[in-house]
Amino acid sequence: MRRVQAMAVLGTVAVAVAACSGSSGGSGSTSASPSASNGQLNAAHVGGTLHLVATAANGTLDPQVNYTLGWWQVYQAAYDGLVSFQKANGTAAFTIVPDLATSVPTPTDGGKTYTFTLRRGIKFSNGQPVTVNDVVASFQRLFKVSSPNASSWYNVLVGSDACLKTPATCTLAGGVVADPSTNTITFHLQHPQAEFLDQLAVPFGSILPASTPPKDQGDAPIPTTGAYMFSSYDPNKALVMVRNPYFKQWSAAAQPAGYPDEINYTFGLTPEAEVTAVENGQADWLFDAPPADRLGEIGSKYANQAHVNTLTAIYYLPMNVNIPPFNNEQARQAVNFALDRNAAVALYGGSNLASPSCQILPPGFPGHVDYCPYTKNPGTTWTAPDLAKAKQLVQQSGTAGQPVAVVSANDTVNKSIGEYVQSVLNSIGYKATLKPLSSNIQFTYIQNTKNKVQISLSQWYQDYPAASDFINVLYGCENFHPNSDASINISGYCNQSVQAQIEAALTQSVTDPTGANSAWAKIDQEITDQAASATLFNPKLIDFVSSRVGNYEFSKQFYMLIDQLWVK
Amino acid sequence: MLRFALSRFASMIFVFISISILVFLIFFATPGVDPAARIAGRNADPATLAAVRHSFGLDRPLPVQYLIMMKKLFITQDLTSFVNRGQKVVPEILAATPVTISLVVGAAVLWVIFAILMGVTAAARRGRPIDPILMAVGLIMLSIPPYWLGEVTNLITQDRLHSTVFAWVPPLGYTPFSQNPTQWFLGLVLPWTVLAVGYIGLYGRVLRSSLVETYSQDFVRTAKAKGLSPRRIMLRHALRTSMITFVSLFGLDFAALLGGAALLIEVVFGLPGIGKLTYDSLENFDLPVILATVLYAAFFVVLLNAIVDLFYAVLDPRVRRV
Amino acid sequence: MGEVATLPPDGEQGGPVAADLVRGGAAGGGGAPPPPVPSPWRLAGHDLVRNKSAMASFAVLVLIVLACLAAPLYASHIAHTDPFTSNIEGTTVVNGQTVKLIQQSTQGLGLGSLPIGPTWDPGHYFLGADVQGRDVMARILYGGRNTIFIGLTSAVLICFFATIIGLVAGFFGGWIDYVISRVLDVLWAFPVYLFAISLSVVLLTSGFAIGPVHIGAGSLAVPILIITVIFIAYVARPVRGEVLTLREREFVQAGIGVGASDWRLIRRDILPNVLTTVIVFIPLMAAIAMLTESALSFLSIGVQPPNASWGTIINDGQSLLYSRPAVAIVPGVLIAVTALCLNLLGDGVRDALDPSARLRGGA
Repeated sequence: MRRVQAMAVLGTVAVAVAACSGSSGGSGSTSASPSASNGQLNAAHVGGTLHLVATAANGTLDPQVNYTLGWWQVYQAAYDGLVSFQKANGTAAFTIVPDLATSVPTPTDGGKTYTFTLRRGIKFSNGQPVTVNDVVASFQRLFKVSSPNASSWYNVLVGSDACLKTPATCTLAGGVVADPSTNTITFHLQHPQAEFLDQLAVPFGSILPASTPPKDQGDAPIPTTGAYMFSSYDPNKALVMVRNPYFKQWSAAAQPAGYPDEINYTFGLTPEAEVTAVENGQADWLFDAPPADRLGEIGSKYANQAHVNTLTAIYYLPMNVNIPPFNNEQARQAVNFALDRNAAVALYGGSNLASPSCQILPPGFPGHVDYCPYTKNPGTTWTAPDLAKAKQLVQQSGTAGQPVAVVSANDTVNKSIGEYVQSVLNSIGYKATLKPLSSNIQFTYIQNTKNKVQISLSQWYQDYPAASDFINVLYGCENFHPNSDASINISGYCNQSVQAQIEAALTQSVTDPTGANSAWAKIDQEITDQAASATLFNPKLIDFVSSRVGNYEFSKQFYMLIDQLWVK
Repeated sequence: MLRFALSRFASMIFVFISISILVFLIFFATPGVDPAARIAGRNADPATLAAVRHSFGLDRPLPVQYLIMMKKLFITQDLTSFVNRGQKVVPEILAATPVTISLVVGAAVLWVIFAILMGVTAAARRGRPIDPILMAVGLIMLSIPPYWLGEVTNLITQDRLHSTVFAWVPPLGYTPFSQNPTQWFLGLVLPWTVLAVGYIGLYGRVLRSSLVETYSQDFVRTAKAKGLSPRRIMLRHALRTSMITFVSLFGLDFAALLGGAALLIEVVFGLPGIGKLTYDSLENFDLPVILATVLYAAFFVVLLNAIVDLFYAVLDPRVRRV
Repeated sequence: MGEVATLPPDGEQGGPVAADLVRGGAAGGGGAPPPPVPSPWRLAGHDLVRNKSAMASFAVLVLIVLACLAAPLYASHIAHTDPFTSNIEGTTVVNGQTVKLIQQSTQGLGLGSLPIGPTWDPGHYFLGADVQGRDVMARILYGGRNTIFIGLTSAVLICFFATIIGLVAGFFGGWIDYVISRVLDVLWAFPVYLFAISLSVVLLTSGFAIGPVHIGAGSLAVPILIITVIFIAYVARPVRGEVLTLREREFVQAGIGVGASDWRLIRRDILPNVLTTVIVFIPLMAAIAMLTESALSFLSIGVQPPNASWGTIINDGQSLLYSRPAVAIVPGVLIAVTALCLNLLGDGVRDALDPSARLRGGA
């Protein structure tokens, strides 16, 4: 069962969200009740201005380019795809429901063809109606603006090869076909893709006006279809959202009407100042992680304003399996045995904010089965480190005394965890140093093999709930690109037998998701046994809201539903 | 005078060119700052990376990139940020300028007044206990880390005593003077104080020492012999010549502050000034904004040093104008 | 402003030698041969020792330095901790009870974990623990070595080079002054933070070599160099300004009038007067250097984890500000005290060497 816990999001790179398994089946169950109590707003609470704060803005406002949790959370209330994740509390949010389409289609032609019927009567915030042409144009635009996953997710579409070669003239001929007479759009895939609907449901799949210029729009707002539109965006000051004048609720599950009349998201305060502002009622919620020394008071004095939720995410230490000393499996296992995951949890904020883990898949994830071989007292979960065993393994491996550099980001939490890891490595026989790099450099730095990074501290949050999003992305051979800043398989792990199992599981998940889950569990265990990395813990998220805020709801996919908050 | 202005203008060009080249070299010499991968998003494939690099012009040779950026900054004024695509840098800077000027000028007024008070009192009462006590207080003020002082100030005024003694303190942030002068003022009182504290200590100390030096000079003894009152001697004669060091330092510090050196204060108090802009651009390795803010700061350094050089002649007429 | 042109008036000559002549001359008079006069340095020494605040400062400084040098003794024999190894799950004894060093909050939702605060027991985490469970007091003692070394070295280097530069620029004027001033402008407008960040990344990721010397991330030479380069302009410009006025003073004009060489003028007339200003700057720059070291170590330049300096401990203390303020306050106070002592001592030295003070009968 999923536990509801809180965690502090550090918000560096894109945060992914867990969704339920089996979403690719296209059954689109809407059994969980949507948030806006059966489609009707509670009139007494409608209105007011919601004031959100963040230390910094999250980059471009273009939903086809932006890959950050911060703006994905905001896009819930603004943009719509053909389908979307249900706007509901908890795990109900993993269900994919029809949004701009009338229903969630079952793929035909062996899973390669999806036909959507567009709803009629929906308008953009500039008054123009949403037509099938807009849908086609939006998918062509994904390639024209070099959307981050154009080449990894959307390259499954027929005609995408030409688009990747010459994006400017992208037509996706044969890939996305619109039929105005029947108001349908048909997608032709080159091969079945289990997560295709998930990939349409995330903000990259937002439908934008065909007239939107084919380049990253930056801080110029693009017209929306959802309950809110963006009236202004100054990355140094504020993002302002107001009600979309052309919005009429068509599905409370997909895009419910919102409560606040205006959402004012201001930037520029430090996290300390933000916590104080929320306590004083000057702000309603902060995006950033509350600093460690405020957690105590938030959890006690302001306990009824604090909401803690589990996230399907990991803090882990990828180890480079291609260079010494961690090209030696015993050395890697030694590290796993030596790490006191409770210590890392304490640095993160304590056991109510993080839970120790040894494996890749987080709890509550499709394919997760509790597994931990690196604990002192044998069992399925981690209990204690085994330093003696670790030192012994280091000796056996012959790598004792080698210099090791730990590369972490230089914000408080990451740096302190890095310092701890350095201390542990020293205690088992290495000569460890810490290299704290700016968060804006560190993530790309540790991916590039040119930099010969031996071990680093990183996080991974999912894009959508599918085991492949952890296992294939982080440990699949084709995600290892030597000498590139974008090589998300940071360990450089590529094991042919495991790769074959990964591909079998991917194929299996199209037709038999449950069966595939046990396959994923097995792969999880195998990679964990080979210790390609050392997982530390699964973090949780804290949402700290002001005292006037009501109706807090947390979607497992997109986190707190900002437009469902009551401020009156 | 014209020669002076021309020569200083020429020096400004020289400084601009050297500094901008330095910024460029330093930026590109830093491993890992290539913005393409960060902008392209995680797990972008090589083709996407290349496309993004090309769209930012990062695949062109460095001197070409340099010239293009300088042209965009000064001539066409459409230089845009690496991080916030489409956002023009020059308007960003212009919007931040009044905030920094409000902060820095207010603090400067405070610190000059109090430093003079401190220095004069300590020098006049030299040898008596008040002298080392004032100097001790000054040194403590100088040694307080400004970021720490800012956070503690916020802790006290926004949190612990916010409902009682400090209820008048508005929420952190900046209110333009044209919008609401009272809020503008109230919101800046604490930042002014925190920023001024360190400088009061330093300048008070420096002034006291200069005054003591001056007192041993001829013209002071002459003035005393003439029977002028100690106060008149101090204020009308000694103070002027003692201000050389004071004014030199002030030119340097004021210039640096106008250019954004108060970045930690701006960050702590949520003031969206040049300092905050500089800080964010460094965090994000946003080269266009870094370049613009550094040149903006360099402008003030050259300008104020020129003014100070002119001022030496006012302070001490014996000095030929340089 | 009345200036009386006289022969070199007292106090202006600069240097103990001239004072000696004057003193010897003044003490003369009468018929008996004057008593033997101790050397000027001896005189200065006497004056310094009699200066109470200078001596007290000196004593405090010696105390601080000795305590920092004794850090290993403190750590192993008094505190019994290893201040460089993380000890997050460790325990200690407070008031007879065993407590965890890092304690999880138990109130309400139980969020956050906090290191213990000061116990005032030297054997058991006198000033409490930091987030890694290390003894703060021991780290402060170790840290003092690095900080004081960086602070003093930088201050001396800054003042040394700035004096030379300011002298040359102010005295010779003309294009020499113009070029030097432009270089100082560039230095002062230099994007220090950018350079520091960039350098830190370079050092962290690869380090670099100058000839046979390899400079790694932990080298203290780097922060000293950066601080020196940044602040030379800060002292050089005031020195230059002083020299500009001194150059016009009557005794210098007199010197020029009798055909004294530039070097002699600088050495005998200008330098001594400038030195008094510079001596005041040394402790001020030491304080500024120590604070700048804190900023630089935040950018990973200088002292590397797990080593400590007062600056790194202040940085660590920032995240504990609301709950364990001692961690950030104590090193800051130490910086202030060190700077204050240097200051009072410097004043004492300057007064002791200043003959005019002696003639007027007091410091």
